[in-house]
Amino acid sequence: MGSGERGPAATAVLIAILLVLVPLMGLHLLGSVGLSVYLVNVVGQVMCFALLAMSVDLMWGGAGVLSLGHGLFFAIGGYLSAMHLLRTAFAKTHVLPDFLQFMGQTRFPAYWHLFDSLPLTLLAILLIPGVVAFVFGFVSFRSRVNGVYFSIITQALTYTAMLLMFRNDTGFGGNNGMTGFHAVAGLPVGGAGAAVLLTTLSTLAVLVALVGGRLLITTRFGRMLVAIRDDEPRLRFLGYDTLWLKLSAWCLSAMVAAVAGALYVPQVGIINPSLLDPSLSLEIAVWVAVGGRGGFYGAIIGAVLVNVVKFWLSAAAPSLWPFVLSLLVLLVVLVLPNGLTDLSNRSRSWMADLGRGLRDSGRRRPERGAG
Amino acid sequence: MTSATHIAVAVEALVVSFGNFKALDELFFTAAYGEVRGVIGPNGAGKTTLLDVLTGRSSASSGRVTLDGELDLTRMNEVQLALSGIGRKFQKPSVFEALTVWENLDLACRRHRRSLLREVFSTAEAKDSEAVATVLERIGLQRHRNARAATLSHGQKQWLEIGMVLAQEPKVLLLDEPVAGMSDDETIETAALVRSLRGPHRAIVVVEHDMEFVEQIADSVTVMHEGKTLFEGSMQNARADHRVLDVYLGR
Ligand SMILES: Nc1ncnc2c1ncn2[C@@H]1O[C@H](COP(=O)(O)OP(=O)(O)O)[C@@H](O)[C@H]1O
Ligand SMILES: [Mg+2]
Repeated sequence: MGSGERGPAATAVLIAILLVLVPLMGLHLLGSVGLSVYLVNVVGQVMCFALLAMSVDLMWGGAGVLSLGHGLFFAIGGYLSAMHLLRTAFAKTHVLPDFLQFMGQTRFPAYWHLFDSLPLTLLAILLIPGVVAFVFGFVSFRSRVNGVYFSIITQALTYTAMLLMFRNDTGFGGNNGMTGFHAVAGLPVGGAGAAVLLTTLSTLAVLVALVGGRLLITTRFGRMLVAIRDDEPRLRFLGYDTLWLKLSAWCLSAMVAAVAGALYVPQVGIINPSLLDPSLSLEIAVWVAVGGRGGFYGAIIGAVLVNVVKFWLSAAAPSLWPFVLSLLVLLVVLVLPNGLTDLSNRSRSWMADLGRGLRDSGRRRPERGAG
Repeated sequence: MTSATHIAVAVEALVVSFGNFKALDELFFTAAYGEVRGVIGPNGAGKTTLLDVLTGRSSASSGRVTLDGELDLTRMNEVQLALSGIGRKFQKPSVFEALTVWENLDLACRRHRRSLLREVFSTAEAKDSEAVATVLERIGLQRHRNARAATLSHGQKQWLEIGMVLAQEPKVLLLDEPVAGMSDDETIETAALVRSLRGPHRAIVVVEHDMEFVEQIADSVTVMHEGKTLFEGSMQNARADHRVLDVYLGR
């Protein structure tokens, strides 16, 4: 999968769909032509999940390093974006967010003023998760923590962050999190304009990540990642310091996850520590596993399918979700170790067999006549 | 460098212990430029452990290992060792299965003075692909250049790995049981390949427990037993040496 010779077709189809999706969102502004605001919003959220899945796939499918803690970077992006939204809301309403009032504050802590600026916020959304990922990755990769151990530590890290964020005195809204956003780029939150804008941005982000990611895995860097997945010691004995290779992919992956979180939070209008719950981080791995690791298209397809089912079930039969999720996991583990990619390969070989069978049976009679 | 003999690697009184067990016990060993040095000895003699120390996979408890008479190898990690010119083919073939033969060889063409950053963003240079093509021809896998390594036969994987180590252009080429699991024909081809790799700027060390194969390719042999050097010299003399016979035939 890594060098992905079956990727191009799937990728091209996905790119086409995404390209159609972007202007489709705009239709809504013309009147009653497009999707409902609710549906536009669902598409936007699913796109954020797709981006998140791609960030995990970069490490898992690319370098064979499974993160079970990407909820952390997603949440960091989300919190940073929420801080910017709260500052802009305050500029309009001059009402301090509830959680600061509960803490007995009369004004924002000084450093919050940095988030008045959109460029600074965007910079923080890339830098802060990048630095967190760098420190954590450096320590783990340098002491050669690999495989399951690495996955477990990422999960522990996210869990620790959740416990931290649950505390009110951490200063980020504790249990209740942050809400009460006013507007996104001047468009009222919850309105059609904001929904269309955010969904379009999220879809574009997926598109850019897909094209960029596909380019990346065809470079020498991408091949080095595949080599790490296949046989990391071998690569070291060839003279490559894999620490820096893994670390750069890991930081990039964290930043992409943070961008997804930053786009997600204004769409749901709230952020709280539930994004740091291990269950989200585990679910991301399920999305990727369902769609198929490596090459990014599987991650997108998996994230979209699983989340569409989840959205639908959460309205129809919310109590069924855990069972459906478990069933999906079993299906992937037992039947399709490479997710839907396997299914498409198998059906392709079935079709080929069928085609060959038909051709043979068509040919047999004249052959017999000739002999 | 001692100009008379052109010693590439010199191992002196090397001890490697795993707990109380000494896998290498005051081992002496040299490999010179221009020669193929066979290292033989029964299973468990410590042959692989010797290569492990030379490539940074195991660390020495005591003793000295030098390259070109000066560079102290015991203080370097596997990446530094590889960059200073030590290349190794492992006992179990280890190639990058998801990559093609060409991609495997291209990755192995690590230019010594190039930074990792440049390496990452480098596009295929004509000079490099020429080097890859040369290696490809040497190991006889031209027809498979675009095949994934996973689809190769066991013997072809062994050759590919030899090719990868060659592409590193090492001063010291270490081959750990290169013909293990090969058919007779493949073994003959591999012997010819190894012989053809001899050169004035390269020391080749071939680890084997099969005396016949070593006899075909080695200029001189080191016989190891229980972590010690039992014999060093020509293969004929080794065959005549009663201590060597004792070890091989049982006493
Ligand atoms: N990492 C290790 N830990 C403990 N014992 C080891 C280790 N590596 C090798 N040994 C032991 O050292 C001895 C020499 O092994 P090895 O160098 O693989 O022998 P050879 O390659 O000559 O067959 C064996 O007895 C082996 O069990
Ligand atoms: Mg061995």
